[in-house]
Amino acid sequence: MKENKKISRRKFLGLSAGAVAGLAFSPSIPTLFAASKKTYDYSILPAGKREYIASNCAMCVNKCGIIAEVVNGRLHKLNPNPEHIKSRGMLCAKGNAGAALPYSPDRLKTPLLRTGERGEGKWKEISWDEAFKYIAKNLADLKQKYENRSTVAFASTEGFQEEFYYYLVNSFGSLNTVRHTTLCLASNIQGWSSVFGVFPDADLLNAEYVIMLGADRAQSLITPDSVNFQRYKPEGQKLIVIDPRFTVTASKADRWYPIKPRTDQGFVLAMINVIIKEGLYNRQFVESYTHGFKDLEKMVQDYTPQWAEKKCEIPAAEIVKTAREFAAHAPRSVIYPGRRSSFYSHEVYVRRTFAILAAICGCWDTKGGVVPRSSIKLNTPEVSFPFFMQTRDRVDKESTDLLKDVVPSSVMCPMIGTGLPEDSCSFLSERDGSWLTFREAVLNDTPYPVKGFFCFKQNPMQSVPNTTKTIAMLKKMDFICVIDMQMSDTAWYADIVLPHTSYLEGWDPATGISGINPLVEFRQPVIKPLFDTKTMFEISGGIIREMLNIPSLWDDIEPDDLKNFKEDVVEGILNRPIQEYIKTQVSNYPGALEKLMNNGFFTVESKKPTYGATRTPGFRFKTKTGKIEILNERYKEFGLFPLPKYCEPKNFVQKSGTYRFLVGRTAWNTQTTTQNIPYLWEIEKENAVWINPGEAGKLGIVSGDYVWIKSRVGKQRIKALVTEKIRPDCVFYSNGWGRRSPWLSRVYKSGASEAEIIEDVLDSISGGTCLHETFVSITKA
Amino acid sequence: MKRKRYAIVFDTKKCLNCKACTVACKFENYVPVGDDSYRLWVTEMPLEGRFPVLRQEFRPSQCQHCENAPCEKVCPTGATFRTAEGVVLIDYDKCILCKACMAACPYDARFVSKKHDAVEKCTFCMHRVSEGREPACVETCPVRVREFGDLNDPDSTVSRLLNQRAYYQLKPEKNTRPRLFYLK
Ligand code: SF4
Ligand code: SF4
Ligand code: SF4
Ligand code: SF4
Repeated sequence: MKENKKISRRKFLGLSAGAVAGLAFSPSIPTLFAASKKTYDYSILPAGKREYIASNCAMCVNKCGIIAEVVNGRLHKLNPNPEHIKSRGMLCAKGNAGAALPYSPDRLKTPLLRTGERGEGKWKEISWDEAFKYIAKNLADLKQKYENRSTVAFASTEGFQEEFYYYLVNSFGSLNTVRHTTLCLASNIQGWSSVFGVFPDADLLNAEYVIMLGADRAQSLITPDSVNFQRYKPEGQKLIVIDPRFTVTASKADRWYPIKPRTDQGFVLAMINVIIKEGLYNRQFVESYTHGFKDLEKMVQDYTPQWAEKKCEIPAAEIVKTAREFAAHAPRSVIYPGRRSSFYSHEVYVRRTFAILAAICGCWDTKGGVVPRSSIKLNTPEVSFPFFMQTRDRVDKESTDLLKDVVPSSVMCPMIGTGLPEDSCSFLSERDGSWLTFREAVLNDTPYPVKGFFCFKQNPMQSVPNTTKTIAMLKKMDFICVIDMQMSDTAWYADIVLPHTSYLEGWDPATGISGINPLVEFRQPVIKPLFDTKTMFEISGGIIREMLNIPSLWDDIEPDDLKNFKEDVVEGILNRPIQEYIKTQVSNYPGALEKLMNNGFFTVESKKPTYGATRTPGFRFKTKTGKIEILNERYKEFGLFPLPKYCEPKNFVQKSGTYRFLVGRTAWNTQTTTQNIPYLWEIEKENAVWINPGEAGKLGIVSGDYVWIKSRVGKQRIKALVTEKIRPDCVFYSNGWGRRSPWLSRVYKSGASEAEIIEDVLDSISGGTCLHETFVSITKA
Repeated sequence: MKRKRYAIVFDTKKCLNCKACTVACKFENYVPVGDDSYRLWVTEMPLEGRFPVLRQEFRPSQCQHCENAPCEKVCPTGATFRTAEGVVLIDYDKCILCKACMAACPYDARFVSKKHDAVEKCTFCMHRVSEGREPACVETCPVRVREFGDLNDPDSTVSRLLNQRAYYQLKPEKNTRPRLFYLK
């Protein structure tokens, strides 16, 4: 890519030399050298006041430490915080580009009320006062009309202000909330927890042997792992990458196996087969801490490396080698949990299998293995919200037989359990909800109509598979309110859009971040707010205060509840400066507030990594038996297969001329939020679909051609990138492109959206989406 | 005090092709967005091998701060010059935008800056270095591909790395004697 740019720079020189030379004598802006050659004046910053303010990045989920360099009140640059224990002194492309965010002409600057049709793009600027009144009135109307507070659904994504969004949710009393989790890592959490009771981190700093399946830590940045796996790689550590794509991470690996998609579980089961057959597992650990090993031993007998070779298309000898090496380095061997696991319908079982491999080799809670996270507890005020009578249970819990559509027989794995799909989602995490189940329920008005939709910094139009259904879902709404920093594709279809303050202009509450090295972060303003924006703390306060003026919104609660609510929540928290809330949060750690102000984070000595707290006799894991459950007893109760039996759809054949669609990230974009930032946009102006050269040849496609990529639910036009980096049976592009909001001026309609073509397929155990269960055809455009 | 000889040593094998360095440099040095405006770049080296045995490296680069700098030689006004530490810089006031240096540079490290109305390029972030801070691209990198330091100090990281490891330089045939070193 850069090579081309270099050529174009040369071209520029040749073509425009005469024209540009004329500029030479126009007055130049701050010069580098005013002084003589002997004493250079290197300064490039304008004269005046320079400040360095510590805070934390919010450009993605990682929350890396930043030191903002502010000159005369204007943010010049975001520097990494060298002392930060999570980001370890780095700041990625997105983190750097955050410095442009407050000044972006495309950001939302004032509340907007729709005046035309939905999606027509006609807006009227209104005041916050009007906005709060309008929203409170709509909430009251919805409650009145449907007599059920859960008729208003609240979507949000993680972030420090999200806890105040829940103030609004709980003050209205809806139980329908949907978070990003089921689009991302729900199955990962469920799978690992089903074995160890918790979701662990990998101790990459001390591991001798690391296997990463489907995780691209070089491009999909997760701190500290993305830093540790190269910068602090211990001498001699081996990295095995198993991925249908030759990712940047694969390019760093000692060995890369281009596995056939959807068969990772088979690879790991065969490793378990070898390790048990050859007696390479950790007998003592297995006996002391695990439940169900004998059953596993019996079950894996058929999963030989030869069997797996046929499934995974990786030579049996390589699987045997990997198994022996993994066992030889145990317990300093990591099978990497990673993060996003929204891949396949049996993903929970894939992740269970990973966890079981770690368990039988004793790579648990020990140096160089997978390690439970610890966290620092804050003194966050516990607030109680009124108990509302007119509140029904979540729709994705009650809706039961709507799921045929989202668990098509083509992906049903019979052995996952006969109880499904009628079981709905067996292990749904309350707040997270399940996006696909939720949307099905809304579309079918079952078990009751959902008619209001709030959306805080989530963008379901781009992030939830099958956009056609998302549009249909939005159409069902009487009222849509979106709170964001930019006009997202979802905001474009809203009735009212509220501009959120950027993370560089406001205060964010203290938030604990768990990990092998836990810490507490917060955010403070590094510059004064530039526009008439508010934080969620202020927005919730504003809406709730207006709600209190409408008696009908409080007619289904005990009067005492209302009184306490007014005192505790409204007077006690929302009507006071957020700084007081932060002070209370960290009040049990002396000096914590100063540390936050000076360094953006703090940690506590006693939370330095200690290994082995769970490897003590009598320790109870958070599982039914209190043991590490190779055989999961609760799964048995739910009618799910309790062992990690290999899951594949019955009689599945990939039709010729179709490709499995894979999606992933680049290091310079976060989901759908950053593509429009000029400094990132110039790195990649549209995405491209990776196609293997053999297949491209058959289709008559060369790099740079535009192609149509078509699935059962949609089609997109996109540029082709013909590359050996991908297996012939799949294609790939990065997410966040092909945008529908014209206000994302640079990326509107450029590239292809993944949500438009990915079919909505549910992982019915965790409620997760399966982003890699779609087959597409490709034709030249 | 011994005179400093500044240099950057790259361990490109670690490079994630994440572009943090390119974005950091733009903010730090007021380099505007634009395909022709950049002080540093990260090249995707050609993919080697055939599926499924593949290899690929990513190679960041920038002005080499040549000890024998062609750009300096051709500059008619003396705008391009080398400091005592060997950092090649441009006095924007003296630049007449004749672009002789751009044509002379074998590394294509220079471009016309709209901000300065002059040719510009990597300065080794001397405004930071003079305050005891690291260059922006060095500091922000997740995996620490670059180390910046003084070749005249035997204990500096750059000196130690060059003593311990084999290295190469770009376009040695041009006899420019770059101050950028790439570890093998
Ligand atoms: S990884 Fe990048 S975008 Fe994410 S928090 Fe860290 S610096 Fe910010
Ligand atoms: S790399 Fe180019 S611009 Fe830099 S010193 Fe060498 S010749 Fe001059
Ligand atoms: S040293 Fe400074 S000017 Fe040079 S490339 Fe790095 S960040 Fe840019
Ligand atoms: S910041 Fe470091 S890892 Fe990222 S592209 Fe630049 S040199 Fe490579």
